[in-house]
Amino acid sequence: MNEYLPLKGVRICDFTAVWAGQTATMYLADMGAECIKVENPFIWNPMTRAASPRINAMVAAILPPWIAGHPPEPGPRPWNNSPAFIQVLRNKKSFTVDSRRPEGLEIVKQIIRSSDIIAENLALGTLEKLGLSDEAIRAERPDIIILHMPAFGRTGSYVEGRGYGAHIDSVAGSTILRGYRDSSPSDNAGIFAGDYWGGMHGAFALMAALRHRRRTGEGQVIEMAQVESSAHMFPQAALDAAWNGRAHHSVGNRSIEGFVPNGVFPTAGTDRWIAISCRSDQEWRALVEFLGNPAWAASAAMATVAGRAENEDALEEHLAQWTATRERDELFHALQAAGVTAGPVLHAGEAAEDPHLAATGAWKRLPATEDYPEVDWLRPAYRFTKSDIDLRTPPCLFGEHNDYVYRELLGFDEDAVERLRAEGHIASTFAPEALENG
Amino acid sequence: MDALEGLTVLDFTSHLAGPYCTRLLADMGARVIKVERPDGDPARTVQPFLGDQPGPDRGATWHYLNTNKESVVVDLTKPDAGGVVRRLMARAQLAVTSSAPLVERELGIDYARLSSYADIPVVSITNFGHDGPYRDYRLSDTVLYAMGAEMYSHGLADREPLKLGGTAAILQGGAMAAVAAMGAITAYEVHGVGQLIDVPLFTVQISNIDRRSSSILAYRFSGRVQQRPQGAGGLAGGVYPVADGFVEVTATAGNYWRRFVDMIDDDALRDPRWENPMMAMDPAAKEEADGIVYPWMLSRTRAEVWDEARKVRAMVAPIYDGTDLFGDENFRARGLWAEIEHPEIGKQPMLGRPYIFEKTPWRIRSAAPSLGQHTDAVLGEAGFSTAEIGRLRAEGVVA
Repeated sequence: MNEYLPLKGVRICDFTAVWAGQTATMYLADMGAECIKVENPFIWNPMTRAASPRINAMVAAILPPWIAGHPPEPGPRPWNNSPAFIQVLRNKKSFTVDSRRPEGLEIVKQIIRSSDIIAENLALGTLEKLGLSDEAIRAERPDIIILHMPAFGRTGSYVEGRGYGAHIDSVAGSTILRGYRDSSPSDNAGIFAGDYWGGMHGAFALMAALRHRRRTGEGQVIEMAQVESSAHMFPQAALDAAWNGRAHHSVGNRSIEGFVPNGVFPTAGTDRWIAISCRSDQEWRALVEFLGNPAWAASAAMATVAGRAENEDALEEHLAQWTATRERDELFHALQAAGVTAGPVLHAGEAAEDPHLAATGAWKRLPATEDYPEVDWLRPAYRFTKSDIDLRTPPCLFGEHNDYVYRELLGFDEDAVERLRAEGHIASTFAPEALENG
Repeated sequence: MDALEGLTVLDFTSHLAGPYCTRLLADMGARVIKVERPDGDPARTVQPFLGDQPGPDRGATWHYLNTNKESVVVDLTKPDAGGVVRRLMARAQLAVTSSAPLVERELGIDYARLSSYADIPVVSITNFGHDGPYRDYRLSDTVLYAMGAEMYSHGLADREPLKLGGTAAILQGGAMAAVAAMGAITAYEVHGVGQLIDVPLFTVQISNIDRRSSSILAYRFSGRVQQRPQGAGGLAGGVYPVADGFVEVTATAGNYWRRFVDMIDDDALRDPRWENPMMAMDPAAKEEADGIVYPWMLSRTRAEVWDEARKVRAMVAPIYDGTDLFGDENFRARGLWAEIEHPEIGKQPMLGRPYIFEKTPWRIRSAAPSLGQHTDAVLGEAGFSTAEIGRLRAEGVVA
């Protein structure tokens, strides 16, 4: 099946970090590109392989699982088993080099010469400091495609701005739109929707540029400022501002599409919730019938969206009282069967066990390594019926493909490899100074 | 030259997710032929409208999602529609659908039927995919986000879980479908294979890297479930009020704390005792830090705070709403905002390029089409004579 991989033969020299960049190149690796992650044993790149290079079971246990839910004993190489980052390393290769030293930079340039894409989202100017300006990169490979994913742009007044997903979401207009209607944005928890969004748009842009290159032989530079791409996740708010001068703020769990009711309601048990949307009057009538036509719901005033919107507080209260004693999953299936849009608020453990995801092949079990146990891993979100777009190789461990890169790809002989190992370029773990700074 | 020049996409999608996918293609130069039902894409009825006056060509969401597209009205429920779809398929290199599996079949746009017309890739966006126990279930943005395993950990511990703003979860499905579509186009152009690409919105949400796929893997590794937080942790960090709104701050121990302190520039915070990680857990220490940080914040605007932050590269940014984003001179000068021109609504600003291509620019070639604006032209190109088009119109197959 491998012959139908869309990006077979495409090589990426991957300088991406954190989530957005590493996700962009993951999508291309899924599609068959050979993605070679450039890693420096002397530099701990923050939030790229793990939250911290030194994490023990005690520390991990007090930090939130999404960032620190390592295996119970994280072990000496937490950068190989961080749940937050290791998944975006699937289908990739990792090699190490100290690109700050001249011979290291020369090795990177050799990779660039045989690469079709170079992608990065490092702090602005990092690649230039290494000696890898766009001009320098193109001197090695004139038809290369270069993707930069800065937070706020490579030009303009905000070039010195620094930020992670939280800051990108703030400026893009995402943060102000989520939260409770009756409390300030300071109650917001960090959700980094822009990272995922930026990753998808970066991957899309790269494949569009690859098509242009297939047709013309021409490479190009792409700049995707993550704030600017993320603004597109909220077009209704952005355009109501631009067209009507209206600022949108949080509506809680209510709908901006005119669905009433639209919300999250408690069900029986502790911290179990169901989301319900009536996307039309027809779905509302189905809900009223399902509720047994109670007086509060069956009145003529509630038959229209406008009427329900006027009584939304009371409606939500009635509905919440009713759902509070029902079993969540029974209610989910019964409401769907009755023609009402509804679904459980699944927590991570429930999603992991969800019968639909299991039945549709969302997971693939990978064998244990020294760094993590045998568990089910996510496959790509989409299914191609002919191309083998899948979780084909496990997340690359730090330096796992040094042999491949140095011997096969670059053709170094045994002496050269030994010398580079002695000089610290070739490594399977971080140098002590990197761990110190991490 | 456009990156996707020469590519024709037959677009059966409606509402939000599918049109977002095909819009990304159209903006890079693909010709997108939107097959619209006679009463129009429901997105034409979605608020906000220009001047709050509803109308099929007045919606901002509608225009946003359908710039650069052509509208051909075909009533797919009519038996003769198949002949129209067949000829349109013959001229396309990609088809995109977003109907439920049962509806796909009723309308004759399921993969078996479409691929019998032309062996091209078909990207099919569905709620839950083409099989499995939830296949025929309904979705909204809120339900999608709820089932996506992130909502549960978003919000406060003692309150209900929260969704994202707007219709973010649905649009994420459209973006993922666009990535899939580029892979499908590449496989078609490079290997000559047509195929079905199944893009379930539910699986897209579960696969989202922002805290949910990581929370799921964390559960598998550690058995721990990501909960809603009690509040921001650490000495500083999270959302702070300032004179004219709010700013977002990351000031975790180490570099980011030191940069944050440089921004506040108060010697009391430079004492090395603040660097002790145990301080971050001490409520009294946080109160002491807040006593310095809050007055500093409240005496400055968002712009002033961000100016100070950028000088020392502190991880701080203002919380913007749409009017801020529209009014920001920097983003305007960079080209975040473009313009559309349309007979009914005139010239209006439009969110512009999400990325800057050196050689093959993102661009707006035309505003969103009126209903059936291109029916005659597209059918004519597909080989239908004027008489045939007249007959199809009379029978209500096209409009």
